[in-house]
Amino acid sequence: MADDKDVLRDVWFGRIPTCFTLNQDEITEREAEPFYLLLPRVSYLTLVTDKVKKHFHKVIRQEDLEEMWFEYEGTPLKWHYPIGVLFDLHASNTALPWSIIVHFKNFPEQDLLHCPSNSVIEAHFMSSIKEADALKHKGQVVNEMQRKDHKQLWMGLQNDKFDQFWAMNRKLMEYPTEEGGFRYIPFRIYQTMSDRPFIQKLFRPLSPDGHAHTLGDLLKEMFPAAIPQDDEQKYQVIIHGIEPMLETPVQWLSEHLSHPDNFLHICVIPATND
Amino acid sequence: MSDPGGQAKRPWKKHIADQLKQRDRVQRQAFEELIHQYNRLLEKSDLQAVWSERLQTDKFDHQNRHDLSPAAEAGRGDALLQEMAHIRIRHQEELTELHKKRGELAQNVIELNNLIQLKDKEIQTNEAQILQYQRRISELEAECRGLGGSLQDLERANQTLRDEYDALQITFGALEEKLRRATEDNQELVSRWMAEKAQEANLLNAENEKDIRRRQAKLQKDLAEAAKEPLPIDLDDDIEVLQVLQEDTAEATGDTSPGRAISRTPSRRVSRSPPGGILDSLTHIFGRRRSVSLSLDAAETERSSAVCTEVCLPTTALHTFDAHDGEVNAVCFSPGSRVLATGGMDRRVKLWEVVSGHCQMKGSLLGSNAGITSIEFDSAGSYLLAASNDFASRMWTVDDYRLRHTLTGHSGKVLAARFLLDNARIVSGSYDRTLKLWDLRSKVCMKTVFAGSSCNDIVCTEQCVMSGHFDKKVRFWDIRAESIVRELELLGRVTSLDLSHDRTQLLTCSRDDLLKIIDLRSNAVRQTFSAQGFKCGADWTRVTFSPDGSYVAAGSADGTLFVWNVLTGKLDRTLDKQHSSAINAVAWSPSGAHVVSVDKGSKAVLWSDI
Repeated sequence: MADDKDVLRDVWFGRIPTCFTLNQDEITEREAEPFYLLLPRVSYLTLVTDKVKKHFHKVIRQEDLEEMWFEYEGTPLKWHYPIGVLFDLHASNTALPWSIIVHFKNFPEQDLLHCPSNSVIEAHFMSSIKEADALKHKGQVVNEMQRKDHKQLWMGLQNDKFDQFWAMNRKLMEYPTEEGGFRYIPFRIYQTMSDRPFIQKLFRPLSPDGHAHTLGDLLKEMFPAAIPQDDEQKYQVIIHGIEPMLETPVQWLSEHLSHPDNFLHICVIPATND
Repeated sequence: MSDPGGQAKRPWKKHIADQLKQRDRVQRQAFEELIHQYNRLLEKSDLQAVWSERLQTDKFDHQNRHDLSPAAEAGRGDALLQEMAHIRIRHQEELTELHKKRGELAQNVIELNNLIQLKDKEIQTNEAQILQYQRRISELEAECRGLGGSLQDLERANQTLRDEYDALQITFGALEEKLRRATEDNQELVSRWMAEKAQEANLLNAENEKDIRRRQAKLQKDLAEAAKEPLPIDLDDDIEVLQVLQEDTAEATGDTSPGRAISRTPSRRVSRSPPGGILDSLTHIFGRRRSVSLSLDAAETERSSAVCTEVCLPTTALHTFDAHDGEVNAVCFSPGSRVLATGGMDRRVKLWEVVSGHCQMKGSLLGSNAGITSIEFDSAGSYLLAASNDFASRMWTVDDYRLRHTLTGHSGKVLAARFLLDNARIVSGSYDRTLKLWDLRSKVCMKTVFAGSSCNDIVCTEQCVMSGHFDKKVRFWDIRAESIVRELELLGRVTSLDLSHDRTQLLTCSRDDLLKIIDLRSNAVRQTFSAQGFKCGADWTRVTFSPDGSYVAAGSADGTLFVWNVLTGKLDRTLDKQHSSAINAVAWSPSGAHVVSVDKGSKAVLWSDI
């Protein structure tokens, strides 16, 4: 059960200081000042950047306005990833604030999805939740919830209401006590250099003889190279900007360190010596 | 919440928490304030930009109209100022309105607070009342419990009292039982003691008798020896010898035990004379004591037969006197006709001497605890047997008026007690429907016969006892077989029985006012006597034969004495005017000269034919 309220609160209210700078190629009437914002780790880019859009709309000519998209160091940022994941994956060890470049032209159709309205984000969010619950409870819990409960989850995320969101999300974090955990742990392992977007496989939280699987067991099975060997750490395993110990039970991680979409997003990046 | 104790086991949790805190510090807190202020500045600058733009456009407009006087500029500036002043005034008005509204709301709040306070006070008073009521309720409950408890106690006490009462009842019953048994034992012991005493006395008597017999035997032996010796017979000597010997023996008999009767009732002893026949002749010659008695016997028997012929009918009352205080129930002549005994409800038996037509009181026999019902002299006239209402029969010696024996054992009043012909046994009949046979030597009841009905009168022959009963029957008992031989039923309750002198006829009187004579040999009613005006006065009215058996006398309820002739069956005499109340008993002297009747009014009348 997700009891560690402090951990949950810290996870929810995590923020990343970001500096939005307009692309130089954009034609402006005036010089556009950069816009600074504390982005919530658990939300999505297009959900929280209305102010950015408004700010930059003041200097851009009307006729040039198209869909806004973001880019960091040449990489277009996928809006359907949680912001924290994007940061950990691309810029976790760089200097803060995170500098994102705002584009209004030349939308990269190959790399990014369009996001015309908030209902698209909502649809994506709900579908992630359902996918996670399918892994955890065979979809029973989310199917028992009513439409207003789903709405409550989305509104909680949209308005940044911790209590409202967790009132409903609590149910998704429950499991029958005789099972000892979820059926399968919903997780995704992201890598910077990989042909696959992420690794997502079936993984049980308990071993057949009842031991709780740890993060180390998960990595051993999914990404063995991430586990440090011979005192040399080649990769860093980051969740929500921190590196949990490899002994952490994966069931607990799924309950407490999941994102609002109920997935445990794990970023594996090359370790830097600093 | 993670427990502190668990943190030691879960370092990863603590690690994660710390890492999160660290991250937040680095990534958020460091920049939060900064970004916030930056954004504010941005806003301000935007606003300033807007303002400056506006001013700039104004300025440009103003410059285009450069020809206008600077006052217009100032005016424009004034206009602006005025606008601003207007705006300010408006704002202030709004402010004052808002203040007023706030005051009203505060007022409302105060009023509502007051109301709330009032309500609170009401609630408090109500609660206080409730408390009071609850206290009262608890008090009443306690009282109720107390009462219930005391009720239970009372019930328990009541129950214990009842139990005690029951126990006491039981003990009482047991004690009553014990008392009864104790009284029974007491009576038994007393009777045994009496028996023992009687036995002792009997033993003494036996001893004495043996002694006497021995002496007698010795005398007889001597006599026999002397008889063998021839002796010259001299008539004169004989008479002298006789006289001398008579005196001697008279002296000798003087100191014998009073148990030996000198004179014997002739009419009853006739049958006993034959056994002494041989000795009779011998002792007759030598004038021994026995012979004296036997000669007297003979003399008496002659006299008795002579007596029978001298019966005279009573015609006049010679003497009327008060015999007792209260009813006189029984009257009896002694065998010698000299002494008259009467018994009454005053518990006394009085002895009278009939001297020249008068009855002089000789003495009274005391000892009975209740009224006397019947009197009889023994055949010698030395003992008097009286039956009493105190359930006992008593025997006195006539000479010294001393009470000798008390025979107790009946459980009802004894209505008749008679000597059997051997004078050694007594038979008594009682209201308790039994007849008891008493042995005088041992003074105990030898036999109790249940007759079935209260026995009113008894007569005895040498073999048979006849008893007349309440149930109109006359029962004949065989003494030796001790069982009923015959029963005779009459028409009324049998009140009296009398035997004729020759013991062949039985006179019965019954409540149907009839007197009957029954022949004992043929068992048939020979004669029936009745008379107009003759009514049997009580259940114990006694009637009598005349000594020769030729007349029958009975007393009536109105005080009249009736005399019938046996041979003719007709009423011979009616004697009245002497008794004022019912006659209870009549007795004819053995000499035939006198008749005595006694009545309920304590009177006794002596009749004769003079």
